[in-house]
Amino acid sequence: MKQPSWDIIGKRKWGYLFSLLVIIPGIIALSVNGLNLGVDFTGGTFLDLRLEKDFTTGQVRQIFDRFGLGRSIIQKGAGRDLSIRTRFLSEEERVKILQALRQEFGEVTVLRADEVGPRIGRELRNIAILGVAIGLLLQVVYISYRFKSVRFAVAADIALLHDILVVLAAFSLTRKEVNSSFVAVLLTVVGYSINDTIVLFDRIRENLAMRAREPFDRLVNRSILEALVRSLNTSITTILAIGAVYFFGGTTIRDFAFGLMVGIATGAYSSIFTASPLLVDWHLWAQRRKVKPVEARLPAVGPSPVPATASPATSPGGQPPRKHKKRRK
Amino acid sequence: MASRLWLRLAFVLAVALLAFQVAFRPVRFEGFVPTLTSPRIHLNLGLDLKGGSRLVFRALRENVSVEDLQGVKRIIEQRIDQLGVVEPTIEILSRQRRIVVELPGIQDPQRAINLIGKTALLEFVDTGTTQLPPGAKWSEDGKKVTLPSGQSISLPKNVKFTGADLQSAQATISDIEGPVVNFQMKGEAAKRFEEYTRENIGRYLTIVLDNEVISSPVIRSTITGGRGQISGGFQNLQEARDLAVLLRSGALPVPVEVEENRTIGPLLGRDSIERSLKAGYIGTILVILFMLLYYRLQGFLASLALGLYILLILAALTGLNATLTLPGIAGIILSIGMAVDANVIIFEKMKEELRLGKTLYMAIQTGWRRALVTIVDSNTTTLIAAVVLLWLGSGPIRGFAVTLTIGVIASMFTAIVVTRVFVDLVSGTRLASWLKAIAATGGRTSEAA
Repeated sequence: MKQPSWDIIGKRKWGYLFSLLVIIPGIIALSVNGLNLGVDFTGGTFLDLRLEKDFTTGQVRQIFDRFGLGRSIIQKGAGRDLSIRTRFLSEEERVKILQALRQEFGEVTVLRADEVGPRIGRELRNIAILGVAIGLLLQVVYISYRFKSVRFAVAADIALLHDILVVLAAFSLTRKEVNSSFVAVLLTVVGYSINDTIVLFDRIRENLAMRAREPFDRLVNRSILEALVRSLNTSITTILAIGAVYFFGGTTIRDFAFGLMVGIATGAYSSIFTASPLLVDWHLWAQRRKVKPVEARLPAVGPSPVPATASPATSPGGQPPRKHKKRRK
Repeated sequence: MASRLWLRLAFVLAVALLAFQVAFRPVRFEGFVPTLTSPRIHLNLGLDLKGGSRLVFRALRENVSVEDLQGVKRIIEQRIDQLGVVEPTIEILSRQRRIVVELPGIQDPQRAINLIGKTALLEFVDTGTTQLPPGAKWSEDGKKVTLPSGQSISLPKNVKFTGADLQSAQATISDIEGPVVNFQMKGEAAKRFEEYTRENIGRYLTIVLDNEVISSPVIRSTITGGRGQISGGFQNLQEARDLAVLLRSGALPVPVEVEENRTIGPLLGRDSIERSLKAGYIGTILVILFMLLYYRLQGFLASLALGLYILLILAALTGLNATLTLPGIAGIILSIGMAVDANVIIFEKMKEELRLGKTLYMAIQTGWRRALVTIVDSNTTTLIAAVVLLWLGSGPIRGFAVTLTIGVIASMFTAIVVTRVFVDLVSGTRLASWLKAIAATGGRTSEAA
């Protein structure tokens, strides 16, 4: 075998630690900063304008102050481009503001305008939460069915929550705007992360069916190494494709591509360093609960002293018929 | 076996040809006579790519019937006709009391909003001896008038005629008044108008649109024939024309408000297409390069399959009459990366089988069989996410979900069927040893990785 012989499962604590080092600051950022919710979620007006004459944001702000919109976010883009985020404006207000801008800076070209009423914002938020929840639930059902074990499903979903948290944290830390395409990012990450975990779990399932006498943690480690090339290659090609969108796709879609890249990277990472180790720890924990206290003091990692407990039938399962088999042995 | 291979190859070629025909329509059938035209893309582009406005209006009244909304839709259609928009779409979401209007390529969305969203209830109000200045507003209950100065006076709204009494309305420029709207009342209303003006000479007949005073003329003489004129309050001819349009189309049965407006100017739309096409080319080239470098001959075969994959997506989008949006393009590019995944899984399993010392033929057989389970399981979970998006999402999310769903299905087909045909084909030729050799070199690289 020309495979590397790294002990990923043995060092799994480092994987957990690394994840926590990313997620804890992320959670702090989320609770302190929150997310930079765009008008899609909060309701409001977003305008991307191109003006005829040079301007400073201060001049524009003066105009907005006149309309009692002092809290608007006003940014200067490339050239004479201007982007404004403010509350939901009535038709009259918008016409008057554009007129005022025309008076000061000449012709105003509307590049993009998004006006979203507060009701639609709320609806979108509910749809986003509902969508992720339903997607997760259906996937648990499918995986539980295909792998005949809830453990695989739960481990895959914890890894998935990990990935969602990382993406949320990335958006919170970078203050990137969260809009309706962010929902698409989250659900793609849901799909991709699960996809990646399943390919790895499938390898574990395959190996479980073939080798009887190997301890579960060794088997998982070997499965990871065997699936590593595929996992890396797929992530590389996907990130190459999305990277092209990030660098060449224009500003409108850059944040979207950023979210996908983060999600794909963490999705590949979590299959190896979160989902699979969790499977092992769960297995070891279940074992400790069953065996006598003396045996429980044995090191958790390394070859199991009781060959029977490492048989494939007992490893991931937890189903009644398999338990009987074990007791007979 | 060989004959079945040719059969499969023929099948793949047939699918490719069919997909090309659906996506680019090089052959057109007029009656039964096929004619050749130059192939071009027939995809519907979303508003975010070609520019335009998407407006969501919401009925302001509770208990709105479907008939009301259909009435609103008919009137909106007439008003849009005046804007000269090519292929507008109007959709009623009756449960949400919403009407979604899409106006591709519109230059002035503000005007569209003004024109579409106005209730346009015109009223001729008898205000007796009181002349009201333009801009004065009646309260909703019609008992009080707020003057532009902010002062409020008590004046019941005594409506004599409404927009429903009008037969036609036209805007012109009058020498004295500037832009005006001439109107003609319907036969029966014209008679009432004549009677009314005869009996009320010297009193003010105030013209009110959506509770706001346009002008407050005095009746100087009996008006016969039901002809009248609305003057004053117009900045330019355009405004007078818009009012004429509103009057001709009639008032909306239910008042509406704009709840969502998404406008992409034509400049930005064109820019998005160019940029996303560029990103697509570069992404595809990078993915193909990677496949060639890593999997050599198999990579080349997989790249051929990838070409067919892109063709299939275009055909599916065109065939389903789906609309391609910017997130949709991102979905396609993402799925190009993921399409390779199925191939990678197959090649890795094939490599393992070869290393176990199996013959090339056996390695292909078992490799594919083992990979099939993995591919189906992993893609089903992605598909679940995509279908949830499809079901829940609207607008940009939906566009993304459509391409992702099509992409996942097409990628399974190309990897499982198409790449297999190519690999089987090559394995029967002198190039077969290349397949084997390359599978072995892949292993060394993995050690370095």
